[in-house]
Amino acid sequence: MKSTTNSIILEVACRLLIPVLIVFGVYVLVHGEYSPGGGFQAGVVLALAVVLNRVMEPADTKKGYWTFKIIALAGMGPIIYLLTGLWSIPFGGNFLEYGHLPLAVHEAERHLYGILFVEIGVTVGVMATIISIFDSLGKVGDPDDHGSLL
Amino acid sequence: MIFVILLSLLLLIILVTGLIAVFIPHIFGSVVLFNAFSFFVVLAYLLLSAPDVAFTEAVIGVISTAYYVIAVRELRKGDRE
Repeated sequence: MKSTTNSIILEVACRLLIPVLIVFGVYVLVHGEYSPGGGFQAGVVLALAVVLNRVMEPADTKKGYWTFKIIALAGMGPIIYLLTGLWSIPFGGNFLEYGHLPLAVHEAERHLYGILFVEIGVTVGVMATIISIFDSLGKVGDPDDHGSLL
Repeated sequence: MIFVILLSLLLLIILVTGLIAVFIPHIFGSVVLFNAFSFFVVLAYLLLSAPDVAFTEAVIGVISTAYYVIAVRELRKGDRE
């Protein structure tokens, strides 16, 4: 059977929803200090954009899943967190002490940038983990693809 | 007073939705009812003025529903290969 498309209404709705989800995810990440939100929620919202695309594609298309790349990205998140924490140690601070970050701004603003980098790490980790779990759940088709690497 | 009435009503709905989601024999209906349960829990959190927890719960409800839908779809396929 030929690769069939889904309902046209669902396709158009997804085409409109996915950019909004991505922009909203970045907004939740960056603005998370002043409003509800933060790294975890932003990661889930960004992953929802990818998951929505995966749900909407027809069941018999060839899935180009990035199984290894997405697990590597899930490892990148904690590494960003760790490097942010270690960054202040050579400049006389403790682990994750944002006041000693070598940025040429006021100290309160240094705290803000430190928290932002940590939240970026959390976002990348959560997003990649959720996409990886989703890919492992919906393994169909490819006979040479035996589920997750883990 | 209106707060207490609204919250009691909401908690009752949460209880009923959760119980039906557990005891319904239809598996996809259970998934949908779990989504409804999650939505009413979000409303309860908002009523108790915890918007951060409500946002997290809403997001987690959506993503877990996507997981369950995919899992049910895989179950329905039966024994392939």
